[in-house]
Amino acid sequence: MGYVFDPAAVLTGQYLEWFIWGLATTIALTLAAWLLGMTIGIVLTLVRMLPFRPLEWLVAGYVEYHRNVPLLVQILVWYFGVPEILPRAIRVWINSHHGEFLLAVIALGLASAAYITEDLRSGIRSIPKTQYEAARSIGFNYLQAMSYVILPQALRIVIPPLINQTLLLFKNTSLAMAIGVGELTYRTREVDSYTFKTFEAFAVATIIYLTISFAIMAIGAFADRRLKLELR
Amino acid sequence: MIRFETVEKWYGQHQVLAGVTGEVKRGEVVTLIGSSGSGKSTLIRTVTRLENVQGGKVLFEGVDVAGRSVDINRLRQRIGFVFQAFNLFPHLTAAGNITLGLERLRKMRKAAARERAMTELHRVGLADKADMLPSRLSGGQRQRVAIARALAMDPDVMLFDEPTSALDPEMVGEVLRVMKTLAQNGMTMVVVTHEIGFAREVADTVWFLDKGQIVESGPPAGVLDNAGDGRLRSFLSRTC
Amino acid sequence: MLQILKDNWLLFLIGQYPHGPVGGLAMTVFLAVLGLSLSFPVAIGLALARLSPYRWLRAPATAVVYVVRGLPLIMFIFWTYFALPLLIGHAVGGVETLLFALVVYEASYLSEIIRAGIEGLPKGQTEAAKALGLGYIPTTFNVILPQVLHNMLPSLVSQFVSTIKETSLGYVISANEVTFAASQVNNQLMTQPFEVYGLLALTYFTLCFTLTSAARWLERRLTAERGGLGVQLA
Repeated sequence: MGYVFDPAAVLTGQYLEWFIWGLATTIALTLAAWLLGMTIGIVLTLVRMLPFRPLEWLVAGYVEYHRNVPLLVQILVWYFGVPEILPRAIRVWINSHHGEFLLAVIALGLASAAYITEDLRSGIRSIPKTQYEAARSIGFNYLQAMSYVILPQALRIVIPPLINQTLLLFKNTSLAMAIGVGELTYRTREVDSYTFKTFEAFAVATIIYLTISFAIMAIGAFADRRLKLELR
Repeated sequence: MIRFETVEKWYGQHQVLAGVTGEVKRGEVVTLIGSSGSGKSTLIRTVTRLENVQGGKVLFEGVDVAGRSVDINRLRQRIGFVFQAFNLFPHLTAAGNITLGLERLRKMRKAAARERAMTELHRVGLADKADMLPSRLSGGQRQRVAIARALAMDPDVMLFDEPTSALDPEMVGEVLRVMKTLAQNGMTMVVVTHEIGFAREVADTVWFLDKGQIVESGPPAGVLDNAGDGRLRSFLSRTC
Repeated sequence: MLQILKDNWLLFLIGQYPHGPVGGLAMTVFLAVLGLSLSFPVAIGLALARLSPYRWLRAPATAVVYVVRGLPLIMFIFWTYFALPLLIGHAVGGVETLLFALVVYEASYLSEIIRAGIEGLPKGQTEAAKALGLGYIPTTFNVILPQVLHNMLPSLVSQFVSTIKETSLGYVISANEVTFAASQVNNQLMTQPFEVYGLLALTYFTLCFTLTSAARWLERRLTAERGGLGVQLA
């Protein structure tokens, strides 16, 4: 084949810088979207628990949309579609403030929120009603029962799926490349197109992705073991 | 101390309590017996408003428990409730289950709460299991911790909803022993149970419920031995 | 939006056929069906390998599954894009690339579901088969797998929905499925991106939501069949 594996070629000077920028952007996307997703996810869960039926339907609609439309399409809708229907002033502002990054974060965050609220809801639901009764029977009021008895148990149940969501979010940031966000995959292709060392470039990116993914998986396994209470 | 005045309750179309009237005096031990669906669990749950009544009144020390001015949480602190399914908090140790209420409601300091918890655990014979999680305890041990948890709040009366029904036979004894000691020390108790032997030995009064009404009531010997004909006799012949 | 649909429905549905290869929604569904079907045998193989007592089978299978789980799908597609032509000796188009990547990707996720299904079967099943004298192959293929696959039906439909969503990544490598078709429409029209992509989202939603609802119905039927293996009473 006459093909020499030469990782150094892609890890020098400007190319190394591109990789680092790519990784930084990926991490920034992940963090921002995670914060947005958790916030909205928690808000949605609280809203759902209100005794007002139409609210449950609204949230259910939100969840179904985000689960049945591909994430890439959601990103395209946000990037190409939404600015068109916004007032001109906002559109201009978005364009001059890293529009693609912002819109990618919004798309990723809102999609995450849908999954997060489902995980939270099933976590809370899985706590038997009798736990609440026992707490109230001691004399705790609603808030106390929730804080001291229900929520601590719900958190234990909910943390492993949430860590899994984080892993998915991290991987999904790669989709932002489709709208030009300079995250790791985008930068990898840049390096590839300049150096023609496709294999090396993608190998580096793969190693970076796998390292972080495996780290998150390990945290998940650890949390799973520690938090596993026989909730009988 | 507890008075039921023609208490009525429906689940949809089905009437589960059909005019129950009775009184539990201070220091008295009352056992409720009857087949499933007779309303005995529902009746005991109305005392702390775990169930609401649609007709009649449930009175605790002369006050209607459903009254608007009643602070239900304070009321529940004065009434201890032991569940059939124990309902221990799985994320807390045995001692932790007990100190939770003491620290948060009685505002006790950690050390004082711990000491009190240990006293109660000692009373039920489980001082050595204080720092174990419920998952490591047997059914009988869990129920005893549940009793200790209820006792730690210094209740005026203890309510037991089929406390031994979920236990394997060999563990029933240890729980009944704890309850017997409680009774002998003068605690007011209302116990829903299938353990006729316990009723005979420990109860001051037995209520036999059928189809949402108290059909027979009186001292155990009288009720159980002179069962006469009818529903009580057939119930007893089925359970003994 | 209705106007766009009326003018371009053919493009959405089947791409540029007959003036070009088949594309659009037809290609999306075709890719998803073919992808999932082809990944099936691979998934079963991976699952059995992961459960095998032989290190030399278990280790590579586990490695494959972990690597695929750790990489974003789009990276996987790029790897396939440049590695596949080298493997089979001639150039490959977007659709073939996408298909290959989907098969491997789906196979690894599917294999985890199958593996969980196998491990979840009561041990008594294998024991009974052994007691009858059945060897590994008949036990696995006539006793274990049929039950696992039957129980897996709702998960399978869910995976099918996932695969449909994954085909949208064809957009990035110009594979002719419906997202790419929508972008072509958008490039023509230029002035109504919200309507075009909104329509695209609606299309996926209709398709996937129907399938998801079917999966939920299947799940309910299955639970009823098993006699309500519901929550354990505390």
